[in-house]
Amino acid sequence: MADTVESSSGSGYEEGSRRQNRLQRYRDLRFSEEELAVILLTPVVSFLLAVSFYPIFDTIVGSLYQGYVLEMNPREFVGLENYRSLYGSGPLLEQFLSGDGFWNALRVSLIYTFVSVPIELVLGLGLALLLNRDFKGKYFAQAAILFPWAIPTVINARIWAWMFNGQYGVINDLLIRIGILQTPFPFLAKPDTALYSMLFITIWKTSSFMALILLAGLQSIPDHLYEAARMDGASRIRQFWDITLPLLKPTLLVALIFRTLPAFQAFGLPYGLTGGGPASATTTLVLFDHQLTFNRLSFGEGAATATIITLIAAGIAMLYVGTLYEPEVR
Amino acid sequence: MSYDRDTLEIRNFQWVGKKVGFYGSIFIIALVSVFPVLWMLITSLKQPGNVVTFPVEYIPRDPTLANYRAAIEGAPFFRYLLNSVIVATGTAVLDVLLGALAGYALSRLRFRFKLPVLLLILGTAMLPFIARLIPLFSLARSWGLLNDYLGLIIPYAAFQLPFAVWIFQAYFKELPDSLEEAGLMDGLSRIGVLFRIILPVSAPAMATAAIIVFIYAWNEFLFALTFMTEDQMRTITVGIALYQGEFQYPWGTISAAVFMSVMPLILFMLFFQRKVVEGLTATGKA
Repeated sequence: MADTVESSSGSGYEEGSRRQNRLQRYRDLRFSEEELAVILLTPVVSFLLAVSFYPIFDTIVGSLYQGYVLEMNPREFVGLENYRSLYGSGPLLEQFLSGDGFWNALRVSLIYTFVSVPIELVLGLGLALLLNRDFKGKYFAQAAILFPWAIPTVINARIWAWMFNGQYGVINDLLIRIGILQTPFPFLAKPDTALYSMLFITIWKTSSFMALILLAGLQSIPDHLYEAARMDGASRIRQFWDITLPLLKPTLLVALIFRTLPAFQAFGLPYGLTGGGPASATTTLVLFDHQLTFNRLSFGEGAATATIITLIAAGIAMLYVGTLYEPEVR
Repeated sequence: MSYDRDTLEIRNFQWVGKKVGFYGSIFIIALVSVFPVLWMLITSLKQPGNVVTFPVEYIPRDPTLANYRAAIEGAPFFRYLLNSVIVATGTAVLDVLLGALAGYALSRLRFRFKLPVLLLILGTAMLPFIARLIPLFSLARSWGLLNDYLGLIIPYAAFQLPFAVWIFQAYFKELPDSLEEAGLMDGLSRIGVLFRIILPVSAPAMATAAIIVFIYAWNEFLFALTFMTEDQMRTITVGIALYQGEFQYPWGTISAAVFMSVMPLILFMLFFQRKVVEGLTATGKA
């Protein structure tokens, strides 16, 4: 289209005004749509290739070497040795169920992800249904509910570490007051309860985020569908199953991807809450990777772990898109 | 007559019950949401000796600001805040600029390979951060960008760019074609239309993208912890996480520091809540 509009540069009556002069400049810069797209997208694509794709590629290559990054150690090609040392010894299932190191971290991350995300989804949907109504004070309710999402994860971890404190924590105090506990319980010092506490905190923090994404989906469902269903005498529960859920499917996909991938990469919460303890009970894969790389300076194994994390994340994303994606007809 | 009045009363009763139930649950949810921050405020106002008592004190006796003074004196608190403001603002500006241009191309221009480019941009959002950490760390080191604001702004901008692009392209897609056609009729070039017509009306998308990117950059921990090794260059998030007082568990001081660091964000959320919600919902609408 742009090319067919005739250039009117040079017509006399435009000369005087500055506005017209500026217009003139934009008229002279003529590109086809294709050229303009290349001009506009080149900076973005090259930026992403340099800062996102190149590092991943470098990590994958680095996982095949020893002494990666450390200049004092010349890199030595070791093939899959870094992966082999992560594997440990013994049968696969046994290692996964009770192994330490990489397998423990993988187990913790999988439990963390696949327990927290479904609960967040259900709670978030409940919250979204509640907020989808009009009521007085909705603004403040929404702001309050968004609170947990806005607090930085690692600071949130410090807050809850104090609230879960085994001697002076307010959670213990409240539980004793309502009669659930007799004496204070060291939640973060026992392996099982440390992981449950971490799950509780992450669910508390991200259900509101889930709710907001789902709220958008709810609001995009046209009202007349519900009206028609009411006329047909459909109950609220039926309306939910037959209208709300199917039409919410694309939004659910986005919400699940947006939550599962970060949950699988949890770092700040275990770092700030327990440092991964007690006895590695809350050491997630990324925390494990961080410890390998920065505490044990085992860059090759760190890169191997990062590569595995990348593969699993890609797998999760493809799984979701494959099961939930419905091609849109435009 | 009396029958009618009875059912009316029953209905009234049910109506009131529903209202109470509804507002009650909203209140409880809101309380659970804000309680931890409220608890930090309460802890921070206690006399140092009263912080570690059990059963705990729910209303501080003899409230004091001593913990706040200790928090400010114990660490370069305002320097941390300034660092965070600079990094988060820089990231937001860069992403709004790049995101708007790419979003326009992807939503309103016809060109070959549009789908692969879109998938490439959005696909980067799914790449794990830890797998980018070490290579970017060594790049930053060889370019002298460790302990430099740009050293964080560049990776943050790259990580959030897919979201910014997504927000802009979703917004631009909704704009009517007539807007651009009018500009083209006036004799503007395509780039003229973008800068003189489209960008000026995209303030809502800019605000949304800027806020979401800002909050991300403010909250990020892994890269901030690794790239800023000098105490003076730490962001507020890392500063608070690594906060150590003179004693082993200075919970009163930590509470004060945490509350002060969360406060700006809370005010920010109260002011921009609507924008944040719009932004999140724009990304959710897909």
